[in-house]
Amino acid sequence: MIEIDEKELNRLSIDKLTQLFMDVINEQTIILIEGIEYLIEENFENFETNLKTVIKANTEVQIKKKFESRIFKSKLMFSKADRLKLFNKINDIKNIGEFLANKMLLYKVVFPDEEFKLQILSILKSLKVISNSIANAVKSIGSDLGKAHDICENVKDERRKMRKEEWRLLNRLYNYDMDYLSRTFLYLKELIETIMMLADHIKTFSEYIQFLATKYLIFD
Amino acid sequence: MANELNLALIIVLIIMAIGLAFSIGANDETLASLIGAGVLKFKIALIIGGIALGSGMIIFSQGFVPETVGKSLLGEGLEEQYTNYMLLTVLISSIFWLVVGSFAGIPLSSTHSLIGSIVGVVFVYALLQGGVDLNTAFNYEKLRDVILSWFISPLMGLLVTYVLFKIVAKFFLSRLRGLNQIEKSERSFKWMLLFVVLFAEIWVGANSGEALGILLGLRENNSISSGEYIGFVFICGIFSFLGIYFAARYVIKNLASHMIDTRPSEGFIIQSSSAIILMIATLFGLPISHSHVIVFCIVGLSIAQKKELDYKGLAKMGVFWILTFPIAAILAGFIYYSLSMFGFS
Repeated sequence: MIEIDEKELNRLSIDKLTQLFMDVINEQTIILIEGIEYLIEENFENFETNLKTVIKANTEVQIKKKFESRIFKSKLMFSKADRLKLFNKINDIKNIGEFLANKMLLYKVVFPDEEFKLQILSILKSLKVISNSIANAVKSIGSDLGKAHDICENVKDERRKMRKEEWRLLNRLYNYDMDYLSRTFLYLKELIETIMMLADHIKTFSEYIQFLATKYLIFD
Repeated sequence: MANELNLALIIVLIIMAIGLAFSIGANDETLASLIGAGVLKFKIALIIGGIALGSGMIIFSQGFVPETVGKSLLGEGLEEQYTNYMLLTVLISSIFWLVVGSFAGIPLSSTHSLIGSIVGVVFVYALLQGGVDLNTAFNYEKLRDVILSWFISPLMGLLVTYVLFKIVAKFFLSRLRGLNQIEKSERSFKWMLLFVVLFAEIWVGANSGEALGILLGLRENNSISSGEYIGFVFICGIFSFLGIYFAARYVIKNLASHMIDTRPSEGFIIQSSSAIILMIATLFGLPISHSHVIVFCIVGLSIAQKKELDYKGLAKMGVFWILTFPIAAILAGFIYYSLSMFGFS
């Protein structure tokens, strides 16, 4: 986990604080995804450890407080609101991740078959890709909005792929035998839908970054 | 009795002229972009802006726009002089029309209203007074220049803003890649905006010849001396400052809150263009509408940025822009005719 030194924080600019915040949130998202991968492997101990790490982690709160006090006093006027919104959108990734982790800890599911496991692993792989990509896009906002815009286009493509996979998975889930345990059914349905909720948020976030690029870049 | 009445009339005219100077400050929203960009603290911006406006008014009080309003629009037939009742009518008519416009929520130009009123009054005066030929009542050359400037100045504002934005965008803004770079450059534009707004404010003061035009009219018909004129000019300058400080703060605050997202570079381009147009018009002694110039500067920027335009709003403004002059003229003519019926001419 990324360690944060208070003195170091004081030296960081608004942009650097945003980048650090994004890194911390991305790291937690990756831990969450790996936790779900442990669940698929039926390694319940590691699954629990990872998810509890995500829930208990609060390093981002320190950065958030610093950012909020810094932006409140900031003399940046025209981009202040956008900077704040950007930060809140990163924070929402954490909120959804925490929601997903709490929900998944309610029950320890055994996945129905190998095909199902492979399909959900494919969705998780895409989630990792878009989580890392959005982190890169956020880091590019300060230095190259055009690059951030292009990265976000890739995020949207990857999320489209995930959506197709989601329907295939749900279709498979709804067509299992009737004697299938309803608790498992509900859990898997919730798992798929909450993973997609996180993916959808990242996709909306990437659209917001593209909006920023369109708003701030001037072409001659 | 007649002398006392005339003295009272002169005092009323001077008070109204000072009131007009206050309202020029009170209606001035030039500072909004400065406040919106967060360059200076609100009260400091009001003080500096007010000083710039008042200074512009005082520095350009000997000639230029006040001379056009108070003297040069009149022809040889009137010996380039207004009677005090003519000045009173001009003031009543233009204020009445502006008040009606404000209550109806119609954007009107005080400059167009004032010049329209002058034309109406002089026209009726020439008709009523034997021996005054309409052909010599006006300085038609000057009147033509003033009216032409009302059409040319907004169009020039649009064009100058368009070209200025294209140049700044090509050689500077389009080369900025990241938000950090953009924010840094906008910080520099904030300070440039401060200077250009103060520069514009000076020319707004210099071009707002309504109040000083009335005083100059009083000086030309020997109601006040040259020394008194200078004294009242200073008072007008101070009152325009007070107008900004005490009354314009609400409109400025309101406008500024809508401009928080506006980039200082955009404000800089708009204010530079409008300041250039105002400066040229003032140096030629042409009273133009600052609001119309600013609106067309914004239109020029929107066209350059390929943004959507509010055609409905522009059409509404255009209609009242055209109507202000004849309505103010008719109204002033009617008021002056009524006064003449009672022997006040």
